[in-house]
Amino acid sequence: MRVGILQLVTVVAGLAMWELAARSGWVDPLFVPAPSAVAPALLRIGGDALAGLADTLGKTALAYVLSVVLGVSAGIAVGSVRLLRDVLSPFVIALYGIPKILVLPWIVLLLGYGTTPAVFYGTLHGVFPIMVLVIGAVRDVDRTLVTVARSLGATTWQLYWKVLLPAIVPSVLAGMRLGIVFCLLGVLVVEMFAGVRGMGHVLGSFANGFQAPELFAATALVSAASIAIVLALDHLNDRLSRWRG
Amino acid sequence: MTLPVVGLRLALLALCLALWEVAGRTMNPLLGVPPSAVVPALRDLLLLRSYPDLLSSLALTVREIATAYALAVAAGLGCGFMLGMHRLVGRAWGPMLAALYAVPAVVWYPSLMLFFGLDAASKIAFGFLLGFFPIALAVLAGIRQVNPQLVVVARAYGAGTVTVFRRVMLPAMLFTLVGGLRTGLALCVIGVIVGEILGSKAGMGALINHAYGLLRTGDYVALVLVTLTLVVGSDVLASLLEHRARRWTE
Amino acid sequence: MSARPALIVIEGVTKRYLSSSGPVEALHDVSLAVEEGAFCTLIGPSGCGKSTLLGMLGGLVTPDQGRLLVDGRPVTGPDPRRVATVFQDAGLFPWRTAVQNVEFGLELQGVPAERRRRTAADLLGPLGLSGFAEKYPRELSGGMKQRVAIGRALALDAKILLMDEPFGALDEQTRVLMGEWLLDIWRRTRKTVIFVTHSLHEALFLSTRVAVMTARPGRIKAALDLTMEYPRSMESSEMVALRAKLWSEIREESLRAMR
Repeated sequence: MRVGILQLVTVVAGLAMWELAARSGWVDPLFVPAPSAVAPALLRIGGDALAGLADTLGKTALAYVLSVVLGVSAGIAVGSVRLLRDVLSPFVIALYGIPKILVLPWIVLLLGYGTTPAVFYGTLHGVFPIMVLVIGAVRDVDRTLVTVARSLGATTWQLYWKVLLPAIVPSVLAGMRLGIVFCLLGVLVVEMFAGVRGMGHVLGSFANGFQAPELFAATALVSAASIAIVLALDHLNDRLSRWRG
Repeated sequence: MTLPVVGLRLALLALCLALWEVAGRTMNPLLGVPPSAVVPALRDLLLLRSYPDLLSSLALTVREIATAYALAVAAGLGCGFMLGMHRLVGRAWGPMLAALYAVPAVVWYPSLMLFFGLDAASKIAFGFLLGFFPIALAVLAGIRQVNPQLVVVARAYGAGTVTVFRRVMLPAMLFTLVGGLRTGLALCVIGVIVGEILGSKAGMGALINHAYGLLRTGDYVALVLVTLTLVVGSDVLASLLEHRARRWTE
Repeated sequence: MSARPALIVIEGVTKRYLSSSGPVEALHDVSLAVEEGAFCTLIGPSGCGKSTLLGMLGGLVTPDQGRLLVDGRPVTGPDPRRVATVFQDAGLFPWRTAVQNVEFGLELQGVPAERRRRTAADLLGPLGLSGFAEKYPRELSGGMKQRVAIGRALALDAKILLMDEPFGALDEQTRVLMGEWLLDIWRRTRKTVIFVTHSLHEALFLSTRVAVMTARPGRIKAALDLTMEYPRSMESSEMVALRAKLWSEIREESLRAMR
């Protein structure tokens, strides 16, 4: 209870101080508009911003599906074959850690402007964290469970389907939670870099046009959408993890 | 690491290089260059022939990273400890911090560009923003995992707050903390580079955009390789310091 | 001496494996015959290969020499219709409820959902787990988990039940109670049980036959037939004498294994 009150107080106090700072001129309202200016801006940008958001989320969803499918299958394939895992692990981790923005100009060069580079780049961002987590999870599957299943007559296919897959679900869910933020990030970056239709472009053009209230409003919109999606995934995660306690 | 594994890795690298060479030769040279064309471009770059201001650009990028990181460490440690030491504050603001982490940081960048312009300041601000969270969250996690029994015992022996911190808490949380510091550096680096590529007048990112804009693909690859060396180098440095720090508390 | 044919025949089995210090012989020329309906205990010091031998009967390990016959057929792999195994670690699938764990073997065999659910549910009563069908393993005690594991093996309705120190991880009281419960199950289902244990008490209380194994490389050193009625009194003079005899056989091997 006290936690909730403190959080509410923090938010209200924060907004109040912000409003005060903007009005008194302590921060230039041209760059940092007051909350009272941002709220109506939200209504002004309404239709266009929502269209941009829908565009971005659509591309993100596509990239996300690709990331999950590729990440999980590649993760299982690499994780379950000892040799592949030993040889490829450092490469996968390296690719995960390299700033992929360095290849973005080249990707735009090859794939042009539009949905394709955005989905491609989003997938590129989302696939690695999922793959790394799945490889680790496959490697750490309790050997006893495999032995038990084999003694009960499980075929190789049954071992994968009924033992391995359920065992790695927690890690897949953790990867999916990371992955969505990464995919969204990738799509936004492409939109900002290449001026492609979508929220990234909306934010970029507001910034270029010095439309501060609109920019803040749009930023808040995207942030809220992202937080909502992650919260939904967390909820799903909890529902599917009853057995873990 | 056994010999066949290392051998296979080298073979894989060699295969990738070979495929790149073949693909590069058959492609339109404006769209893709083979490694054999990258080597002379790299040489030209390092001899300061293709981009005479390479060194100053590199220096600027490094300065931006260093500044961003210093700020991230200071703020991250500060906020982390404040949230960690005060139970109520930590429980209230901790989830809010974690919620912000669920937002892809790049959404803040246009606001930063509006506020700071295209200069170094916006890159430093963005790098700071990226690096701050893992550090603060690592401090929080580290503090949570300190066994409170140890603190009780230390105080029973008459240890003051500073001593308790240095001798009991710090060693217990060091592993998590240093991990967070290392991740923070990696993210600062990424933040600065992303900021430069998304819009800047100077720095490595600006050079990369320049080469890309003029379709000087060979130079583009060379610049990317140099930047990549900077990224990997900073992480290697961080891991060396990590090992040092580990030994210091053992 | 009995006229019933041996259900399990182990002939001249040898098994070697490579350890960090060079090749090691786990089992050397092991031979044993177990008749149908017997409760045969394998007892011996650590490292004598009893788990390996059980693994071979279960089709999970192949011998380097010799052969194993089950019901007249050589063992070539896991055969859940004839041989069911229970391990020391219950090995319950944590994402499945108790009843879902019990029916797992039947699910693998393609038994339709309704039938296998009924078979599994019917087993819960005798297992002492009525009311725990929908519980997850993390909600069950050690003894309960082991009973689910045994239930999973029983659901296969195989003639032979292999048990590798199934009560090893349980506390003393639970062990004794589980032993009594297992005896009850065995006498009702009339299965052939091969039971690996360290415990003299268990060997004497449960078995119709005790095979003592030597220290590594493992061989069958001695085999005792126990013909006493169940439930057995551990204080009878016959039992005391048997215990002494068994202990003397085992003690020698345990000392050798410790060196």
